[in-house]
Amino acid sequence: MTTETVAATVRESAATATPLRIAGRGTWLDAGRPVSAGRTVSLADDRGVVSYVPGDLTLTVRAGTPLSEISSVTAEHNQWLPLDPYGSDDGTIGATMATASAGPLASSFGLPRDLLLGVEFVNGRGEVIRAGGRVVKNVAGFDLSRLVTGSWGTLGVITEVTVRLYAKPQADRTFVIELGGSEREVGAIVRAILNAPLTPFAFQLASRSISRALGVGENPVALLRFGGSDTVVNAQVSGLGQLARPREVENEVWTSLRAVDAGTHTAVRVSSLPQRFAAASARILGDDVPGIYTSIDPRRGVMRILVGSAASDDGDATPAPEFATDGEGSSSVVFEKLPADLWSSVSPSVVADPLSQGIRKAYDPHHILNPGILGS
Amino acid sequence: MVADRLAEIVGESHVLSRQSELLVYNSDGLPGYRRQPRLAVFPGTREEAIDVVRFLAAENLPFVPRGAGTGLSGGALSDDTIVVGLHRLKKIISLDVENRRATVEPGVVNLRLNRHVAPHGLLYAPDPSSEAACTIGGNVAENAGGPHCLKYGVTLNHVLALTVVLPSGEVVELGSKVGERDGYDLRGAFIGSEGCFGLAVDITVKLTPKPQSVRTLLADFTSVDAAAHVTSAIVASGIVPAALEFMDGPTIRVVEDSIYAAGYPRDAEAILLIELDGLEAGVVADVEVVRQICLSGGARRVRIARNDAERMKLWQGRKKAFGAMGRLAPHLIVQDAVIPRTKLPEILATIHAISEKYSVVVCNVFHAGDGNLHPNIAYSADDPAESERVHKAMREIMKACIDAGGSITGEHGVGLDKMGYMESIFSETSLNAMCELRGVFDPLHRSNPGKVVPVHSCKEWHGTRASRIPAREAEAPPLEAEPSHPVAR
Repeated sequence: MTTETVAATVRESAATATPLRIAGRGTWLDAGRPVSAGRTVSLADDRGVVSYVPGDLTLTVRAGTPLSEISSVTAEHNQWLPLDPYGSDDGTIGATMATASAGPLASSFGLPRDLLLGVEFVNGRGEVIRAGGRVVKNVAGFDLSRLVTGSWGTLGVITEVTVRLYAKPQADRTFVIELGGSEREVGAIVRAILNAPLTPFAFQLASRSISRALGVGENPVALLRFGGSDTVVNAQVSGLGQLARPREVENEVWTSLRAVDAGTHTAVRVSSLPQRFAAASARILGDDVPGIYTSIDPRRGVMRILVGSAASDDGDATPAPEFATDGEGSSSVVFEKLPADLWSSVSPSVVADPLSQGIRKAYDPHHILNPGILGS
Repeated sequence: MVADRLAEIVGESHVLSRQSELLVYNSDGLPGYRRQPRLAVFPGTREEAIDVVRFLAAENLPFVPRGAGTGLSGGALSDDTIVVGLHRLKKIISLDVENRRATVEPGVVNLRLNRHVAPHGLLYAPDPSSEAACTIGGNVAENAGGPHCLKYGVTLNHVLALTVVLPSGEVVELGSKVGERDGYDLRGAFIGSEGCFGLAVDITVKLTPKPQSVRTLLADFTSVDAAAHVTSAIVASGIVPAALEFMDGPTIRVVEDSIYAAGYPRDAEAILLIELDGLEAGVVADVEVVRQICLSGGARRVRIARNDAERMKLWQGRKKAFGAMGRLAPHLIVQDAVIPRTKLPEILATIHAISEKYSVVVCNVFHAGDGNLHPNIAYSADDPAESERVHKAMREIMKACIDAGGSITGEHGVGLDKMGYMESIFSETSLNAMCELRGVFDPLHRSNPGKVVPVHSCKEWHGTRASRIPAREAEAPPLEAEPSHPVAR
């Protein structure tokens, strides 16, 4: 499928007002609200590198390119795209950008919006639009790249993406710290790590249920990933050793952490001021409810709660974390994945404000692109 | 009368209406464009700013938001419209050291914010060279960069939330002060919208912990080409310097002749100013790697600043370089193209060839690590023959950068100055999509009219609504609109 065939498909659908479901490789189709569409436009076959000059540390690929392919192409030049959305690397770069999906590396390398340099997309009239470019710094024109990132396909079908790459670090090592102590002790360790002069690539706190799934013990854990030159990594590892007792584990643990999503039907993301998570982490992680997996990125200020089928169905399968509601405007809740029948009751449209509606109407006047996925 | 009504909102002394008083608002940091505003109004509080915008909306009057006027694209110029100056809104509303964020009013000067947070071991990363004068509101409007954006990212990457007054007078919250939101990234769309989407009355920014260790290196070269290759080699090495700046021979000499003399070697044809920061152990190791890359790439000498005073002096010369060029000639053309970083040696050679062809002196001083070029030409606009050569040379340089796969602006914005190049990098449908976005924020195109996207690119706007406001507001000036009457600086 080329940009022109996508455009032709969209034009046909626009002419007959047939709603379109936009899909990559279909690995995350259970995310977002249900879409009722007469037709699916799949980008899965539209994959591959369009342009890659390693010396520029930029990469242009077709939207259907799986993250795993980007990973292997860039690895040949000792580079990488530090983007590790939950789930796996089977998903496409187009879907990752469209859903603004991020993972543990986001607190160091930024969200998808921060790694995206340029984009080509087809709007709801079937017109091809290019925004941004292939250079690392660019303020030419209004920022349509940021606009389509996280728009879940409702403003356009992303067909091509240019991203910023990084050189792979000489050393890339992961450490686990068991958080078995009292709430006070755990809070103190988390705060000490946050305030220490450490610059981990990733820093996650995980509940006991996740520890078990990862095979790293029976206690809640802190996971830290350090990257850089050997000198830098060694310095940080010894710094960490002064605060806690870290144990080195394989980097594979991150793949496993991201894969916990696979067996779950609900994913909720709560975000708030980072220090509030540091304070509450011991209490949150200490909960041990079968089938509920909680992880916290204390630097990004984000907690993710996953609910699997093992969780008891007491009629209120939506975890309404007390944390999320303990103060007006002090946090925000994003539902990533929910059982279909629950959407309407927990989360009304997230694009109901006049600006969002105006933009939607301008870019998809026939309301055919993933209708319903954002709640309207 | 409009002036009287505005005076009722902000007080008589904060409205300017005499032509002589308005003269200072007829240009921005880019000499070469001059537009006379009809009025200027300076709200002193957030409420006054909102009331001013609401009044202008009710009267259907076009306006131009303005910060410190240090912009380099003619973006803050007002052509017989009303300037809404925001420099009086200069409160630092809150500082949250623990969560590393601050909320400020738009008129807060970039450097003042940095001085305010420095005692807490924090910094605000985007550092345009005009940091001592430019405002955070202006930085947001332009999505400003600066030398340290190589490692830390531009304004877009550091703004968490904004309270915006839309041109209609409606107040909206974009982004979130406390967390992440879903829905469209309206905050991202607003940043860099160059005053066309309304104005921000408060801005919540992310603060960055000061690095444990900083080293500044000065490498000097006898050839531009060698310095360009070394730049590419550093980028490719995987080390991400905090800053990697390039200055060529003509720039070095004009800086050394000025009060900003930094002790750069006058006989060098290029210098690289490289800053490395992070954990002490890593910085020490990286300094050695970078030093070796420089020396094996042909650097005559690599000097490492011994203390903060030396560092500051090295940076002063770089940051004041545009100003120092005032010594060469009364007028200056400033460019802001971005190229893929591997193309640097090739493009610098092309720029040199173009400068010889037209007998002009190009001063190159730029963010080499990002590939963000600033080829500047000092000249006298009073000499028509020279003017013509200069403008021809500049157009050829821009064309070479675009052909290399680059962009027309990396951090200065499109404003008036680059509008003529927009059609060389964007298709008609892409430009129209930008117009549509603007139309959602500002259906009547009353906020900063005639900037960024040429009006004839806007399908819906062209030939329909354009008649609702005076024709001169709706028509974009053609490429290089007025090289013949620039202002003296």
